[in-house]
Amino acid sequence: MDTLKVRDAGDVEQAVRAALAGEQPLEIIGHGTKRPIGQPMATNALLDLSALNAVTSYEPNELIITVQAGAPLADVLSLIDSRNQQFAFEPVNTASLLGTPKLGTIGGMIAAGLAGPRRVKAGGVRDHLLGAHAVSGFGDSFKTGGRVVKNVTGYDLCKLLAGSWGTLAVMTEVTLKVMPRPESERTLVLRGLDDIAANRAMTAALGSPFDVSGAGHLPNSAFRGPQSGLGGLGDPQAVTLLRLEGIAASVVHRADALAKLLAPFGQAEIVADAASSSIWNSLRDVEPFAANGPLGAWPVWRIVCPPASGGALGQQLSRDTGGDVIYDWGGGLIWAALPPKPDAHAALLRQRVDAVGGHASLLRASVEVRRNVDVFHPQQRGLAALSERVRRSFDPRNILNRGRLVRESPA
Amino acid sequence: MAVMMPASDQAVLGRRDKIVAALRAIVPGEGVIDSPAEMIPYESDGLMAYRQPPMVVVLPDTTEQVSQVLKYCFEQGIKVVPRGAGTSLSGGALPLEDGVLLGLGKFKRIREIDYDNRVVVTEPGVTNLAISQAVAHAGFYYAPDPSSQIACSIGGNVAENSGGVHCLKYGMTTNNVLGCEIVLISGEIISIGGKSAETSGYDLMGIITGSEGLLGVITEITVRILQKPETARALMVGFAEVEAAGRCVAEIIGAGIIPGGMEMMDRPAIHASEAFVHAGYPLDVEALLIIELDGPGVEVDELIGRVEAIAQNSGSTTCRISGSEAERNLFWAGRKAAFPAVGRISPDYLCMDGTIPRGALPTALARIRDLSAKHELGVANVFHAGDGNLHPLILYDANKPGEMERAEAFGADILRVCVELGGVLTGEHGVGIEKRDLMPEMFSEIDLNQQQRLKCAFDAQGLLNPGKVFPTLHRCAELGRVHVHGGKLAFPDLPRF
Repeated sequence: MDTLKVRDAGDVEQAVRAALAGEQPLEIIGHGTKRPIGQPMATNALLDLSALNAVTSYEPNELIITVQAGAPLADVLSLIDSRNQQFAFEPVNTASLLGTPKLGTIGGMIAAGLAGPRRVKAGGVRDHLLGAHAVSGFGDSFKTGGRVVKNVTGYDLCKLLAGSWGTLAVMTEVTLKVMPRPESERTLVLRGLDDIAANRAMTAALGSPFDVSGAGHLPNSAFRGPQSGLGGLGDPQAVTLLRLEGIAASVVHRADALAKLLAPFGQAEIVADAASSSIWNSLRDVEPFAANGPLGAWPVWRIVCPPASGGALGQQLSRDTGGDVIYDWGGGLIWAALPPKPDAHAALLRQRVDAVGGHASLLRASVEVRRNVDVFHPQQRGLAALSERVRRSFDPRNILNRGRLVRESPA
Repeated sequence: MAVMMPASDQAVLGRRDKIVAALRAIVPGEGVIDSPAEMIPYESDGLMAYRQPPMVVVLPDTTEQVSQVLKYCFEQGIKVVPRGAGTSLSGGALPLEDGVLLGLGKFKRIREIDYDNRVVVTEPGVTNLAISQAVAHAGFYYAPDPSSQIACSIGGNVAENSGGVHCLKYGMTTNNVLGCEIVLISGEIISIGGKSAETSGYDLMGIITGSEGLLGVITEITVRILQKPETARALMVGFAEVEAAGRCVAEIIGAGIIPGGMEMMDRPAIHASEAFVHAGYPLDVEALLIIELDGPGVEVDELIGRVEAIAQNSGSTTCRISGSEAERNLFWAGRKAAFPAVGRISPDYLCMDGTIPRGALPTALARIRDLSAKHELGVANVFHAGDGNLHPLILYDANKPGEMERAEAFGADILRVCVELGGVLTGEHGVGIEKRDLMPEMFSEIDLNQQQRLKCAFDAQGLLNPGKVFPTLHRCAELGRVHVHGGKLAFPDLPRF
């Protein structure tokens, strides 16, 4: 397979135009850490953006950073961390889940659109992407958005690029919002709740005025493997986790008030600062289902659903399949590792997820399984047709990551 | 009218009676308005310098009726202008002579309040404030709060991606909407998103939000609601120089503090507001900041102290801290009444809406002052300083020949300055007709073509709200053409591995 290593947006334009002329679809990669996600693609050349890796500008007082799409996420995170700032949406590091070596690039982070626990408070990747330069499937560089937060000038194409898995345009440079890193954090830990009760506790916490910035639940079974970040939790029994962040005095006050509110669910223990943050990193990165752990060979689904229906849905799924689930976003995000099966339990799982108005993507599975399953949630016919028209408005010849999002229907 | 609208379709106008009858068959009774006198309220929106009676007004009250109206217009090639409460400041709901004005005013019902999932499912004609009021007894509210919130509809908020004084901390409409039911011009009803945090597939909700009525007609919206902060307090800080106020804003953000709101007013705005509401604003300062901190009492108290220290270090000359809700509301009263206050000192004013990087505030103000001299018109400045969103109010008298044109030229110059300083044409009011012809200041033809292609995916005939947002209209077939550059097959410059 040809690899085209581009150095600037002009190179990307040339590569896409050549691909159009030769009718050769391109697979777009940064570090390639998320290549195992999606339908197996019908591409035969790689467009490698990893050399497009400069930080164009970083203005901490403006709360923005502009970087080229191939910039290593790890470097950008450490740069903004040096100024006590962060991406508030907590990008998921898929390395441990997928068994890939690196954290990936900024472009990959945006194209995947996977946000961590703080999404309940701070929003997702799409809420923090302010502007982008990209090359469409027409082979033209275009820009959208800007370098300011408040902007309604023209259609907000950034929203489409986030989570588009490289199927609309090749991002070359992006501007992201950064936010101050909270001065301190505390996690309330409730022990021994079943999934339904945990869901209720999280609902009560998120419906309180205490500004909860993370609400997750790990059933007993989540502790069967080696636990780097969760080890500090001690006893291997179910834990419900509620995070509070901010200035120290406020966090102490809110932790106290929240513990009182949640007293009917049990006595809350408190985990602070570094220990707290390592718990949330583990949950964010789905460590209980790590590729090198006991469930490493199981397919993993990412289910997004109305948060208050998460507990019942997850519990039912694990009972029906003998699988394991963990919860984030107060129940609104379920990671489900299910015992291997040729369809990864897609039919059953999608039926249950549809019933509560959610959607599910198969984020980890073998190529064989992904060939036979809709990796991303099938949409209603009208919505699917509209989405396809939107895709074609960016890439009419289907040059970019052809076939990654939607499975070719069997002839 | 300085802005050219698409030419009227005489064939459509010739069939007006037939069209009115067909619409009556879909929406019975008072839902179709065709008498000139009764159509007067629909001639303009909040941008009142522009007026145009529509061909006919339709006020459906079910999604099915909306679908049938659009399908009929689609099949007959009739233009449609959607309208919410008509509070747009950019002319987004300005009718067309040969177009159907589709009002959503009858969609006034909140369909569901779901506290467990922290969402409200509502029809688009419900006002922004009514959503907050409906959930207030449970301690919740809907965060985006445009200053027209008492009147503006949530459907219009989605169409315009409305902001407000609190969006620095809580985001704009797009960050607070989870799903919608939208009717395409073909009449097809599509449901997007819902009570989940994310939609499946491409984020079409994100593209519909802020699309200014060009992509579809929204008939239901699911919004996120939040618990009200425990408490809020405000500081009112005066500065002898605008630069010092700008520095103060940058340093508060730089210190990692995100206030609930951070507003700036310049001397003319301070004086006009003080004369109107007597909020106790200092009159001997060049710039006034109102900074609101919200959260638990202990947090607010601590942050008030930190902000006060930063203000002093930045050279503030006066500082008052609200000691009660009444006092906090009084601080805000002047700011919130700034527009009508300016209306008292000038027969007419034009409200602009650019955004600049925060750090460019002093430069922008100096440039606006120069432009004021050049165009010989006064200006009062009100800013959402926290997010760099400027609202210069250009003072003019429409009865004096040429003043309105000068005011518009002044406004265009201000927006060019915004773009030049790294900002954008509109922060929250939308492009509409007002900023349409300035779009090339910010976007190349390629950028605009890509946006119009997206429009084509929703409305290939360009029947929905034509003449808004885009300075030139292209045919979708022409935009969709791929130009293959056969000679560049080899791209020899690219290293291969």
